[in-house]
Amino acid sequence: MTASLVATPAPAVRRWRPRPGAIVGALMLGSVLLLTAIVPLLPGFDPMGQDLRATLLAPMEDPAHPLGTDALGRDLLSRIALASAVTLGMTVLIVIMNAVLGSVVGILAGYFGGRLETLITLLSNVTLAMPVVLLLIAICAVLRPSAGLTILVLGLTWWVGYARVTRNVAAALRRQDFVVSPLTQGADSVWVLARHIVPNVWPHTLIIAATDVATIVLITSSLEYLGLGVQPPVPSWGSMIYEGQRHLSGDPWLALLPGLAMLLAVGGVQFLSQQFTAETRGGMLRKGGMR
Amino acid sequence: MLLFIARRLALAVTTVLAVVTIAFVLGRATGEPGALLLPDNATQADVEALNSALGFDRPLVVQYLDTLVGLVTGDFGDSYRLRESALGLVLERVPATIELAFWAFVIGLLLAVAAAVTIQLTGSRALRAIVGWAGAIRQSVPDFFFALLLVLVFSVLLGALPSLGRTSYASLVLPVLTLATGQFVMYLRLLDAALSEQASQDYVRTAIAQGQRRSTVLFTRMLPNAILPVLGMAGLNLGGLLGGTVVVEVVFAWPGLGKLLTDAVSQRDFPIVQAGLVFVALAFVIVNTAVDVLVRRIDTRTATS
Repeated sequence: MTASLVATPAPAVRRWRPRPGAIVGALMLGSVLLLTAIVPLLPGFDPMGQDLRATLLAPMEDPAHPLGTDALGRDLLSRIALASAVTLGMTVLIVIMNAVLGSVVGILAGYFGGRLETLITLLSNVTLAMPVVLLLIAICAVLRPSAGLTILVLGLTWWVGYARVTRNVAAALRRQDFVVSPLTQGADSVWVLARHIVPNVWPHTLIIAATDVATIVLITSSLEYLGLGVQPPVPSWGSMIYEGQRHLSGDPWLALLPGLAMLLAVGGVQFLSQQFTAETRGGMLRKGGMR
Repeated sequence: MLLFIARRLALAVTTVLAVVTIAFVLGRATGEPGALLLPDNATQADVEALNSALGFDRPLVVQYLDTLVGLVTGDFGDSYRLRESALGLVLERVPATIELAFWAFVIGLLLAVAAAVTIQLTGSRALRAIVGWAGAIRQSVPDFFFALLLVLVFSVLLGALPSLGRTSYASLVLPVLTLATGQFVMYLRLLDAALSEQASQDYVRTAIAQGQRRSTVLFTRMLPNAILPVLGMAGLNLGGLLGGTVVVEVVFAWPGLGKLLTDAVSQRDFPIVQAGLVFVALAFVIVNTAVDVLVRRIDTRTATS
């Protein structure tokens, strides 16, 4: 390679080139989102309607049911589309609840310190040392299982990670000149929080939320698989896979297709969040080996 | 060091107390068991007699204190359905669960060490990328779905391995594989990051400049340093492993703690749920504390402080 003699001016803005992982992730997630958006508009959309004369149709066997039907003759494509919308919707709600709750608690604890901070530290240490998933199973089973209960229980219990990180960030910011200076000049805490703390904390919240989406989907669908989430006849990924398990030897697509939708959605989110995290951390994750 | 251990013990006790309290509240939230256990045509007097026989007519505070005493003496009451000691039923199932969790942990960790070492020695970016992508895909499906894929391939299509129960060593393979692959991905990420960090340290460069073999440096110097944070994480992750074991036991009808607990939960057999939750919490806290103290003791940077 010949070195150019004329120094090329550095581009004002580094051109943003999406990494391959980000493209793959966007395509995977996009395909599932597209499915949930388009299928309900199609004429044959009917996720609950049973047709006992057309049970266990294979994919492509009948043009009216492109992905086939389940043991009760319900259209699989419609059910997968609805299940994806249900599980993803629940997940988004749960993640937002936890992100908001955890960040508010964390920011307040980090900014004001004192007793609240001690309480948060204790609470997060205790939760970290608990078999949380097992407790969630017990809670969801003992109280009458429903989609609302899953959202409530998971939405109110999975925020300690957010609180820990935002507390540390807020506590570090609290000592910075640009926070101390307005306070000495009489600015009130509400203004400082809104102007200086929150804008610097929320990117951290976003990173945790991005990686949390996958975790929450996996937990909710595990609960659904155990019969502890969305109740029939409304379909969900977990319950569809559970029902399909019985037909694994004869009609494996009943379990495989909802699983594929889940793989595409969760995998898409994971690839995207990995790229996002790598991007914000300055490519730290791409370190070379020993050479 | 003593102060550290004392602090860890205090945390452990708090955690167990919290779990006991949650379990107690859950138990009361289900209501009194009398109506649930007796046939539909039982009279109100029968129901009340059974409730008071089980101690549900006492004040809540007394019931709670009784639970705490039970925690110390190991008496969680009898199972409503089986009329046997709840703790006994739980302990009976523990070996089967430990079998799964232990092999999943060992195999997952060994595979992760092998893969991480290979990546470091070859410096192969392609290998790291392939393993990274495969890991991301494995982590995109829950254990129960990965388990079904394994059953589909090895039991239905190949007919090589049993898919249900705990009958022979062969029936261990699929559940352990399900859990171990999940563990593998997590440990590999941590180990790879830790080894890469060690690789850029001065002591590694010095050792190689002195002419030591790279594999010697890797195994005798870098690996012991890199494995510490992974062990700490493994202790913390025990809860995740146990949670995963619950679901995997249901998929494979594995007669372990998870199967017992999910069955008990659906039958509202609360003494078993309570005994199981407390047992898991205790095991979890003990392992966590032990790992924490051990890691701190081994790690020369913190051992003296």
